[in-house]
Amino acid sequence: MRRIGLLGVVAAALVVAATAAARTSAGTPIVIGWAHDSTGPMAPFDGPALAAAQIRVAQINAKGGVDGHPLVIKTCDTQGDNAAVSKSCADKLIAEHVNVIFTTCDVDLAAPVVQESINAGLLTIAPCIGTDQMGPKRFGAKGALAFSFGNVAQDEGSAMAQFAWAKGWRKADLATDTVIVYFKNVVQAFAARWKQLGGKIVDQESYQDPAFHGNNVQNAVSRINAHPADVIVTATAGAYQALAPMITGLRTLGNNTPVLNSWAGDGTYWLPKSPKVSNYYFVTYADAFGGDPNPAINALAKKIHAATGGFVTGPAAIDGLATAIREAGGSTNGAALAAKMVKFHDVPTLSGLVSFSPQLHSVYHRQYRVIEIQNNVPKLVAEVVAKVVPKI
Amino acid sequence: MRRVVELAAPVALVLATALLGLAVSTALQTYFLDTLVKVAIVVALYVFIGNSGVLSFGHISFVALGVWTAGVLTVPEGQKNAIMPGIAHFLLHTNVGNAWSLVLAAAVGLAFAFAVGLPLMRLSGLAAGIATFGVLEIVNNVLRYDDRIGPGLNAFSSVPETTGIWQAAIGALICVVVAYAYQRSRYGRQLRATREDPAAASAAGISIYRQRLLAFAVSGALAGLAGGLYVHLLPIEIDSLYLDLTFITLAMLVVGGSGSLLGAVVGALAVGGLDSFLSAAENGVDIFGWHLNLPTDTSALTVGALMALVLVYRPGGLTGGHELSLALPRFRKDGDG
Repeated sequence: MRRIGLLGVVAAALVVAATAAARTSAGTPIVIGWAHDSTGPMAPFDGPALAAAQIRVAQINAKGGVDGHPLVIKTCDTQGDNAAVSKSCADKLIAEHVNVIFTTCDVDLAAPVVQESINAGLLTIAPCIGTDQMGPKRFGAKGALAFSFGNVAQDEGSAMAQFAWAKGWRKADLATDTVIVYFKNVVQAFAARWKQLGGKIVDQESYQDPAFHGNNVQNAVSRINAHPADVIVTATAGAYQALAPMITGLRTLGNNTPVLNSWAGDGTYWLPKSPKVSNYYFVTYADAFGGDPNPAINALAKKIHAATGGFVTGPAAIDGLATAIREAGGSTNGAALAAKMVKFHDVPTLSGLVSFSPQLHSVYHRQYRVIEIQNNVPKLVAEVVAKVVPKI
Repeated sequence: MRRVVELAAPVALVLATALLGLAVSTALQTYFLDTLVKVAIVVALYVFIGNSGVLSFGHISFVALGVWTAGVLTVPEGQKNAIMPGIAHFLLHTNVGNAWSLVLAAAVGLAFAFAVGLPLMRLSGLAAGIATFGVLEIVNNVLRYDDRIGPGLNAFSSVPETTGIWQAAIGALICVVVAYAYQRSRYGRQLRATREDPAAASAAGISIYRQRLLAFAVSGALAGLAGGLYVHLLPIEIDSLYLDLTFITLAMLVVGGSGSLLGAVVGALAVGGLDSFLSAAENGVDIFGWHLNLPTDTSALTVGALMALVLVYRPGGLTGGHELSLALPRFRKDGDG
């Protein structure tokens, strides 16, 4: 028992020493290393988040920085999230003595960066990974250093179910894009919450995106069309190249059932010119088209020509990091920052109030915006907060 | 002496790459490791394609099976449910160490190549190439869709990163030595005879089918080993083990010279090295005090253009399909034919 006590004292002393050693001296820049994808499937998500974060950093620095320390962002392009380049990027940023590493918005594509970063003991943040896997669940004990300012898919799917129920829809077809965990988890969460609300699931199909060598989305369309419902629910990104063919396929078959998507389906960049898309809904972080209830978001969206509402996750992650550094007394030690971040409860950020827990290192209870697209024109139509985070 | 030189040249190239990899930064070392794994893959391709003259589009499926075997068996049990939520019970609770995972990756590659080779090695020419492409398609679709046996399209994260410079070099050297031993063996010579003149080889009593099947199985084992090395280097996804990797490794073999082991190693190092250097330069590298920062996508454009140029001026590849020889070049006497 005495030995355990002694070990405890030594361990505590080491943490205090490490925290003190990592405490930046007055005026020293706090350097954020950002491994982003500028050319691949994640580029539409990483690019706006990074651009908006750079503006947020400039705003914070104009007010004196974080406790007197200016923030600096160093970037490295993962070139389509090539695994070797991603790993090399992380090592390059670590060699340049960055204090924190930010990574791309998909947990599988981010894995090479996350593993290098947490192995180096750095706090590792994804602005918009949307699963509960950015943490210990996926990366083991060292995953305690990994966080995302994206939504937990369970929360997002639940919010989608609530919105659909409020619209008076009662029967749903589910179309699961199986290329990434986030897509699958959103649809699973929708199904779980939909059943709780009393909704009926008529048909469940799966497909994979052409961007990942998938070729079966039209098979899913044909089968869904054979099962009439009030709403078709999916989670997929326009950049992954299945969304436009799916909706065009349905409409060509004369099926005008509303399609409800997650944040992945945000934006108008993927919309086909003909036939124009109607009866399409998605939940998102913010209205990137100028109609958001928060004027600061509208101003920022205009400044960076935002294509999707996901851009707010970049500045939100910067806000969260700044809060963690202040609460840690100026330390940039990864463990010290993670210890503060995991206790976040309703911390204000540009994207709203952010909470984490030891189990969920991604955001839940977010106030989602619901955007409706008619004739290729997007419009904010509702806001929704999930009342339940279902188990999937 | 000739044998020593023939083997020494590719071995020396692999060792030189490994030693150079030790001298660079950790960030650049990843590219050296990636290139050494590519050497192992291209040598595996050479064992079958180079010796038989039959094109195969299916070898990346053996690499994928090596990745799958070593990955599924070494992801820590605590993370398997997150990465592979649908994994079968016996795979969930089965784990092995680094060395065994590599041995099993090679064994699965060997067994699968032998099994699919039984019917496919009766084919020749384009039919054989397209049939092996069918194998790639089947394996890719099974691994990406069936989440009872693996992670589907999820990345193999949390696999112990044991492929450092020495494991990568030793793995590549094992492939080189096995490939050389095979090509110098009676079986390798018989297969090369079938490549040069199938009718004469058959008339001499050589079974084309058996010799191709043997080479296919050996190359499958080497490709499986390369896959095991790969998953212990990077958290890769099954989707990255498909057409892009198939074509770039075939291009490496052709650019180096598909008729020789030296060509396979030179092609992998030349194309892999150039691609790696340009990829690194797109994020900025310092060379002798000079900072080089290339525009995005320079790598893809330059590598493609240079590969085309090499083949225009040296259709036989950089080595012309020859092994390194100490013999002096022969000069024709005046009047010789």
